[in-house]
Amino acid sequence: MLTSFVRSGQKVILRIEDTLNKVFSSEQNLLYYHGAMPNFCMWMLFLSGLLLFAYYTPTLEAAYQSVEYITNRLPYGDVIRGIHRYAADAMLLTVILHALRVYFTDRYREYRLIAWYSGVALSVFMLIIGISGYILVWDERSFTIVTKITDFLGSLPFIGSFLASAFLNGDVISNYTMSMSFFLHTGTSFALLVLLWVHYMRISRPVVNVTWAIGSLISGIILLFAGLFPAISGPEAKFTVEPSYFDIDWFYLWLFPLIDTVGNIGAWLVLIAGVTLVTLLPNFVRNHDKEPASVSKDHCVGCRLCSIDCPYEAIYMAPRNDGSKYKEIAVVIDDRCAECGLCVGACNFDAIELPNYKSPQVMDDIRIALQS
Amino acid sequence: MTQAETQSENKLKTRDEVKVAVIACARSVNLEGELSATKLNGVNNCDVIQVPCSGMIQPRMIEAAFNAGADGVIAMGCQIGDCHFREGNKFCRERLLGQRPPMIKKTVPKRRLKGLWMSEVQVDDFKARVEDFKGYVAEQLVEEQKGN
Repeated sequence: MLTSFVRSGQKVILRIEDTLNKVFSSEQNLLYYHGAMPNFCMWMLFLSGLLLFAYYTPTLEAAYQSVEYITNRLPYGDVIRGIHRYAADAMLLTVILHALRVYFTDRYREYRLIAWYSGVALSVFMLIIGISGYILVWDERSFTIVTKITDFLGSLPFIGSFLASAFLNGDVISNYTMSMSFFLHTGTSFALLVLLWVHYMRISRPVVNVTWAIGSLISGIILLFAGLFPAISGPEAKFTVEPSYFDIDWFYLWLFPLIDTVGNIGAWLVLIAGVTLVTLLPNFVRNHDKEPASVSKDHCVGCRLCSIDCPYEAIYMAPRNDGSKYKEIAVVIDDRCAECGLCVGACNFDAIELPNYKSPQVMDDIRIALQS
Repeated sequence: MTQAETQSENKLKTRDEVKVAVIACARSVNLEGELSATKLNGVNNCDVIQVPCSGMIQPRMIEAAFNAGADGVIAMGCQIGDCHFREGNKFCRERLLGQRPPMIKKTVPKRRLKGLWMSEVQVDDFKARVEDFKGYVAEQLVEEQKGN
C-alpha cells in the first residue's frame, strides 16, 4: 500500500514537472532545483543576518531599541529585516518541497541514507534557529516564547531543570538569556554549514546553485512579501505584563499552540514521535539485495573516466602494483554503489560491469532483438 | 551482403519498414505491458532494450545496434534535469553530442541517432516520437543514397 501511494505521488510530480518543462524549459524548471532553492534562501538569510548583526545589541535593555533602530532609522533596514523574515519562511517551504520530492521519487534510502538522516537533523536545527530568532526581537511575543520554552525544557524528566537553566543561562531571565538566544540563533546557523557538508558528502557535483532566473524569482517573491507585510515588532516586552494576543508564525512557532493544546509532555511526545517517524521512513521499505559494480583487473587501464562520472563518489583510483603496465586501478566502494551503471557507460574497455547487466550481454540482447 | 546491396535495400524502405532500436532507461517511459519480448506494441519494427539508466549506454552499444541492422537508434533517458541517478541522462546526452568520453565512432550515422528524454508517464507521446523518427530515418536513407 505504501509503495502504491509513493508511486502515485511520483506520477503527480512527474506530470507537474512535465508541464513546468513545457512552460519554462528544463533549465529553468523550479522543481529541478528543489535542493538548490533552500540553499539559495539560506545564503540570503546569512547575508541579511550579517547586516542585522552589525546593528543588533543582545541585551534586555537595548535589544528592542536596536531592532527598532534597524527598522525605522537605518536606510533600507526595514527591507533587510523583511528579507530576513520571509527568506526564513521561503527556506522552510522549499525544504518541505525538497523532502516531499525526494520521498515520492524514492530518492531517500539505501545509498542515500546519509543525506536523509542529515536532512532530518538540518530541519530540527532550522526549528531551533527559527524560534530563537523570534526571541531576539524582545517584544511581548519574545517574552512569552522564553517563558514557554523554559517550561517546555523544564518539563523533561532528569535533564529538564538542567536544560531550562542552560537556556535561561541562569535562574532568571537576564542579559545572559539574550546571549544564549543569540548564540542559539547564530551558532546553530553555522552548524547548518557543517551539517550541509555531511548532507552533500556522498554526492559528486551536487546542484547547489539556482539559475539567475529562479534566484531572481525567489528574491522577488521575498521582497514582495517584505513590502506588503513588513516585519514589525509587537510592544516591547515587560516582565510584569503577560500578553493576551500576538500573531503566530505557523512556519516556526507552531510548537507553542501545540504546547497549549497537548501540554509540555504531550508536545515532547509529538516532537519525538514525529522526528523518529521521519528518520525511520527509509526502514519501512525493504532494500533490494545489493549487487554493486565490479572492476576487472585484466581490463582496467586506469583511465579514471568511471571514477569521474560516478554520481555517488563510490569509485576511487588506487595505485596498482601487480606488475601491470597501468599505474592505477578503479576500486568500487560497495556500500556507496547505487548500481546505476553510469560507470559502465563511461568505460570503453569492459573493465567495470554490473553483475546483472553486463555490457557484452546488453550488446548481445541488442543483436538478438534486431535479428528476430 | 555487400555494402552496395545494403544501401540499395535501405533505399527502398518505407517509414513502416524502417527498423529502429531503442536503448532505454528502465525508469523513463513506463513500458510495462507495452512490449512483446523486445518488440514495442503498436509500432512496427521497433525493438526496445532496457538498461538501469541511460547513463549506462555505451557508444559501443549504439554501434552494435547499427551493425546488427538497425536503420535508426534512439537512446532514451528521463527528462533532462531529472535522473534517478542524478546525472545519467545528462552524461548520455553529452556523449551523443560528442562532448563527453568515450566518444561515438565517426562511422556511426549520427543523423539516424536520436536522444529522447521522456518521463515515466509519457507512453503515448513516446510512441508518436518513435513514429516521427522512423519517418525521419526513411528520409535520411533516401538523402544518404542521393549523396552517394
